[in-house]
Amino acid sequence: MVGAKSHKVLIFVLMALILTFFYLPILSLMVFSFNDSRSLTSWSGFSLQWYEALFKNREMMMAITTTLSIALMSTFVATILGTLAAIGVSKSKRLVKEIVLSVNNFPILNPEIVTAIGLMLLYSSLNIQKGYMTMLLAHIIFSTPYVILSVLPKLRRLDPDIAEAALDLGATPLEALWKVIVPMILPGIISGALIAFTMSFDDFVISYFVSGNGVKNISILVYTMSKRINPTINALSTILVVIITVVLLIVNLYPMLNKKKELKEAE
Amino acid sequence: MRKLIEFKNIVKSFDDSLVLKGINLSIHENEFVTLLGPSGCGKTTLLRILGGFISQNEGHVYFDDIEISNVPPYKREINTVFQRYALFPHMNVHDNIAFGLHIKKQDKQMIEQKVKKMLKLVNLQGYEDRPVTLLSGGQQQRVAIARALVNEPMVLLLDEPLGALDLKLRKEMQVELKKIQQEVGITFIYVTHDQEEALTMSDTIVVMNNGEIQQIGSPTDIYNEPENRFVADFIGESNILEGVMLEDYKVKFDDQTFECVDYGFEDNLEVDIVLRPEDIDIVPLDMGRIKGVIKSAIFKGVHFEVVVETPYREWIIHTTDKVELDKEVGLHFFPEDIHIMYKMGTY
Ligand SMILES: Nc1ncnc2c1ncn2[C@@H]1O[C@H](COP(=O)(O)OP(=O)(O)O)[C@@H](O)[C@H]1O
Ligand SMILES: [Mg+2]
Repeated sequence: MVGAKSHKVLIFVLMALILTFFYLPILSLMVFSFNDSRSLTSWSGFSLQWYEALFKNREMMMAITTTLSIALMSTFVATILGTLAAIGVSKSKRLVKEIVLSVNNFPILNPEIVTAIGLMLLYSSLNIQKGYMTMLLAHIIFSTPYVILSVLPKLRRLDPDIAEAALDLGATPLEALWKVIVPMILPGIISGALIAFTMSFDDFVISYFVSGNGVKNISILVYTMSKRINPTINALSTILVVIITVVLLIVNLYPMLNKKKELKEAE
Repeated sequence: MRKLIEFKNIVKSFDDSLVLKGINLSIHENEFVTLLGPSGCGKTTLLRILGGFISQNEGHVYFDDIEISNVPPYKREINTVFQRYALFPHMNVHDNIAFGLHIKKQDKQMIEQKVKKMLKLVNLQGYEDRPVTLLSGGQQQRVAIARALVNEPMVLLLDEPLGALDLKLRKEMQVELKKIQQEVGITFIYVTHDQEEALTMSDTIVVMNNGEIQQIGSPTDIYNEPENRFVADFIGESNILEGVMLEDYKVKFDDQTFECVDYGFEDNLEVDIVLRPEDIDIVPLDMGRIKGVIKSAIFKGVHFEVVVETPYREWIIHTTDKVELDKEVGLHFFPEDIHIMYKMGTY
């Protein structure tokens, strides 16, 4: 008994240590973004001056705009593309399905750097000027597979007769898709979109390789500025962490809330 | 009655297996037609070809004398009640039923009126706002029927619609469906593997096996004059024996010659013979055409199912009289109770 108890204590201590090492740096970064002085180690009082500086800094504001606009647009396109692709795959023959799914898993399983260099080489060999559009395209490319993976399970659980029932009642294939299939797989589409958004929002490796002409997202900017210590980065990073945390919370809580709603309806 | 649908030599295969082997069938206005056959014989496949969800490899489908093989399902004046209902789970009862009318962009007031009428027809008044996922099997069934009928199709296809219901509910729904069909006055094409269901509901029964039609006829035709051993066996419990048609009106089986009412067979042709259990009477020993011993008698609710053993076979007999086990008895039947059938594959 004593052995089992000390075991538990040990696990608890380890967990606490791990969490501390993970989150203490982030916490300190967030705390010191509100520091009155330039120091990153000694607290001299609360102030919002670094946030002010951040919003006055044109370069940083540009990076935020770039990050947000690319995240929103790539999420939009990837969600539509991924959903349609998933529907197509689910209706294909088994062999086609397996091939497409293996290809789909490639960019997910590959180290990001491989995808990044691959895309960079592709753009160079096609002589495409690197910049905003290439970054947008790259983000669509690497986030679409996640949408497919998140929508497919919903389609798999769909009764195949449902689509036929819609056609039977006079709906054209497009109407059937829009009025019946999409509403039924909506939870999968939404979580796919949220994943696509986070993937795009905090991407550094791929963005770094496919962008150019001074187009920078937040990650690239932070990276290039990280050598010169400047608490504005703390402020920027804090905003980044908060947004990512919120989206991830939604991604993880959404299915639970959904289930709860279903249960409530069932009562 | 006007001919509404015609299948001409429909052949369908999936991968390498032939599922429909040349189906020829006409269906008329206001007819209640049942496709009856064991599971896997191709009933659903034939229905799906008519609905337009799959296309045949060979042959033609005519609707009102127009070939419809290339008409997409959403343009056919046919609606389907699916085997597992296929209701839209994200909609309530009202929206499920109104779906077809919304798609056709009918007037709002008109839609409400029709939905109300349908809810009354299927006995679901007051259920408009219920989510369909919370309904019982029988209620979902009714919604599926209402959702199809509200479009006022010329033909309603029903694929084993009562298969998932318990026995009592199934009996009730059989009566109700028949009533609904007479009320709306349209053609029903009904698929089932339950012979009793087919016999009670249909105007015409199409018996299928292995992708082929075995017999088309009224319930009484099918029951009394089965065309072959398969139909006789499938349509109800039977004594099926082999014999020889000596000449017109004379058949020999179990080493005895019997008078019968069938003619037109080749002389000395080997045939299958069916004798329905309820057509055979148990009589005193000296009055029977065949002699045997009573082996068992099981009470089946209305009648006893009696097994009588003779040197040649065991006979199944249905009788309402009480019988004595191990007693020697005679069996009696009339010439018209003997049904002669060609052996399968010889006609
Ligand atoms: N989409 C399909 N792909 C391959 N085989 C099929 C398909 N649909 C039906 N079959 C096969 O065709 C045969 C007939 O099926 P079906 O028409 O559903 O029979 P029933 O409705 O009479 O039970 C079965 O052997 C079934 O396995
Ligand atoms: Mg079937």
